[in-house]
Amino acid sequence: MKILLMGHPNVGKSAVFNRLTGANITESNYPGTTVDYTVGYTFIEDQEYEIIDVPGTFSTEPKDEAEQVALDLLANNPDATVISILDATKIERGLYLAFEIMEKGFPLVIALNMWDDAESHNIKIDVEKLEEILQVPVVPTVAISGKGISKLAHKVTQATPTDTKELKKRIENL
Amino acid sequence: MLKKLTELEYGERGIIHSMGENIKPKLCGMGIRDGKLIRMDTKQPIKGPVVITVDQSTTSLGFGLAQQIFIEVKK
Repeated sequence: MKILLMGHPNVGKSAVFNRLTGANITESNYPGTTVDYTVGYTFIEDQEYEIIDVPGTFSTEPKDEAEQVALDLLANNPDATVISILDATKIERGLYLAFEIMEKGFPLVIALNMWDDAESHNIKIDVEKLEEILQVPVVPTVAISGKGISKLAHKVTQATPTDTKELKKRIENL
Repeated sequence: MLKKLTELEYGERGIIHSMGENIKPKLCGMGIRDGKLIRMDTKQPIKGPVVITVDQSTTSLGFGLAQQIFIEVKK
């Protein structure tokens, strides 16, 4: 079983990866450096999962090498579950990528990372309502402290593909 | 009044009215879409990049991109 960690640059994908696998990696992405991804393993409910830390990408339209790597990973792992990591302080722009991944038919779990930062900026997110609309698990996390990570791991086992036509209807009826 | 993003004053705000079709896929993922409130933070001389804020995210856009974004500003 594979899990892809996907999200915009600087939302804490590698921090979540480190928490899930117990590894300690630091990624960098500067123009001219080779953009690569990291693979780690973990057990969730006695099942082994391969976790791939995907380079940050804004959309599924590749604009540079890092994004191409990200899209190739999606294309080459059609059976994977995707953890879409969003910056909780900027969820609107992060959801765009999450929707694109859902449209490709991947089972998805959303991690609202940097939850502590959102709280300190007085940003209130109704997680239950968001789950109700999207029909995917949504978990607030603080990857650097580890908050919400075990819940996130367990939700991965429950992820199912989303019917995006039904999703569109639910959004239109809001 | 409609202005190009590159023509906005420092700190001026407006609503994104429209943008070139070819740049849409590039910008939508960054939350820069028609109908969004946008603020021009700063710009560089001699066709340099333009720094903007949409929602809570600050991004810099190349002059070529910024020129293709039209902003509806008050007055």
